[in-house]
Amino acid sequence: MSFIKVLILKFSSLRTQTMASSDKTINTDVPEKDVFAIHFLQSLSNLTTQNPFNSPDTTNYRARKIKKAAYVSMAKAAGGSSRLWSRALLGRAAKENNKIVRFARRKRKVTWKISSKRRSDQRAPEATDRLRNLVPGGGTMETSKLMEETAHYIKCLSMQVKVMQCLVDGLSPK
Amino acid sequence: MDPPLVNDSSFSAANPSSYTLSEIWPFPVNDAVRSGLRLAVNAGRVFNRSEHSGSKDVSVAEESTVTDLTAGWGGRKTRDLNSEDDSSKMVSSSSSGNELKESGDKKRKLCGSESGNGDCSMRPEGETSSGGGGGGSKASEQKNKPEPPKDYIHVRARRGQATDRHSLAERARREKISEKMTALQDIIPGCNKIIGKALVLDEIINYIQSLQRQVEFLSMKLEVVNSGASSGPTIGVFPSGDLGTLPIDVHRTIYEQQEANETRGSQPEWLHMQVDGNFNRTT
Repeated sequence: MSFIKVLILKFSSLRTQTMASSDKTINTDVPEKDVFAIHFLQSLSNLTTQNPFNSPDTTNYRARKIKKAAYVSMAKAAGGSSRLWSRALLGRAAKENNKIVRFARRKRKVTWKISSKRRSDQRAPEATDRLRNLVPGGGTMETSKLMEETAHYIKCLSMQVKVMQCLVDGLSPK
Repeated sequence: MDPPLVNDSSFSAANPSSYTLSEIWPFPVNDAVRSGLRLAVNAGRVFNRSEHSGSKDVSVAEESTVTDLTAGWGGRKTRDLNSEDDSSKMVSSSSSGNELKESGDKKRKLCGSESGNGDCSMRPEGETSSGGGGGGSKASEQKNKPEPPKDYIHVRARRGQATDRHSLAERARREKISEKMTALQDIIPGCNKIIGKALVLDEIINYIQSLQRQVEFLSMKLEVVNSGASSGPTIGVFPSGDLGTLPIDVHRTIYEQQEANETRGSQPEWLHMQVDGNFNRTT
C-alpha cells in the first residue's frame, strides 16, 4: 500500500515534468500512459483502503473490481467524454454504481444492429455485429465511426495492458 | 477538436482591434473542410457566433450601409439554399447525410454573412451608400462562386457504375469504411497481410478479445500481488483476535459470501461498506 502511494507520487511528479516540458498542445490521439497510471493507482489505493483485504469478499469479486477500475481509468485517460467508447464505458460504470451521470447528448441514438441485420447481402455482417458488441457503446455507432472508435480503443487497450504489466512486475515481490 | 478552439481565441483577439477580411476568412474554414465533417460543423458554429459579434461591431460603426446590406443578404441566402441543396443531396450519403447538410447550411450562411461583412469593411471608404442592397448581393455572389465546391464530397461514377444518388452515397460510404479499415489494419500487428474484409474483422475481434482477456488476467494477478503484499500479517491476526466478540458480523459475512457466490457481484455496496467499517474498527 505504501508502495502504491510512492508510485502515485512518482507518476504525478513525472506527469508534471512532462506537462512542463511539452507545450499546451494536447494530442488526443496518443493515449496518455501517465494519466491512466495515476488514475488506476489512485483507484487501487482507494480499493485497498475501502476494502481491506481481510474483508469477506472473494478474490474473484476483488479481481472484478480491479478490472472495473482499470477500465474506468482507461476511459478517463482517453479523454472522458470526447470519445464515444469512453463515454459508454463511464456511463456503464456509473450505472453499475447507481449514480446518474449525464453527458451532453450529441445525436439521436439509433441502434445500428437492426439496420445491419436487414442488410444481409453484405459479406461480413456478423463480424461487424460482434465488433459492435466488443467495443463499448458500439451498438449506437455508424460503421465507419465504429472503425474509428475501434482503432482508438485498441490503442488504449494495448497501452493499458502494458502499464498493468509494468505494475504487476513492479509490485510483485522478488 | 483543436482547430475550433484556436479559431475562437484568434477571433476574439482579432475582432475588437482590426477587422479585416483576409485575416478571418480563409484559414479556419479551409481547415474545417480539410479535417472532416464533424469539425466543419463545430467550426461553423464557432464561426457563426464570432461572425455575429463581428457584424454587430461593424453595424455600430456604419449603420446605414449595414442595414441595406442585410436586406441584400437575406435574399441571396435563400437563393443559394435553393440552388445548392440539390448538389448536397446528390452526394450526401445515407449515413452522414444530416451532418453534410448541416455543415452545408452552416457554411452557406457563413458565406453570406462573411461576404456581406467583407463588403461592409471594404466599402465605407469608396462608394459608401451608393450601391445599396443590389450591389452588395452581386459582390457577395462573385465572391461566393469559388467557394461552394468545398461543401460536398465529389464522387464520380466510373463506366458501368450506377449514377443515381443512392448508389453514389453508398459507394462513398463504403470507401469511407474501407479507408478506416486499412487504418485499423495498420494498428494491429500482423494484420497487413490478410486479405478480405471478413478475415480482417475476425482478426480485429480476436485481437480485442485477447487484449481484454489479458486485462482480466492482469487484474487477477494484481489482486493477488496486492493482497499478498498488504494482507500477509493481518490474516494472521484476524482469526485469533476478534471472532468471538463479533458474532453478528461474522454471520453477516457468511451471508454475504453466499450471496456473492449466488449472484456474482451484484450485491449492494453499502453492506460491504458497513462490514468493512466494523472490521476496520476492530483490527
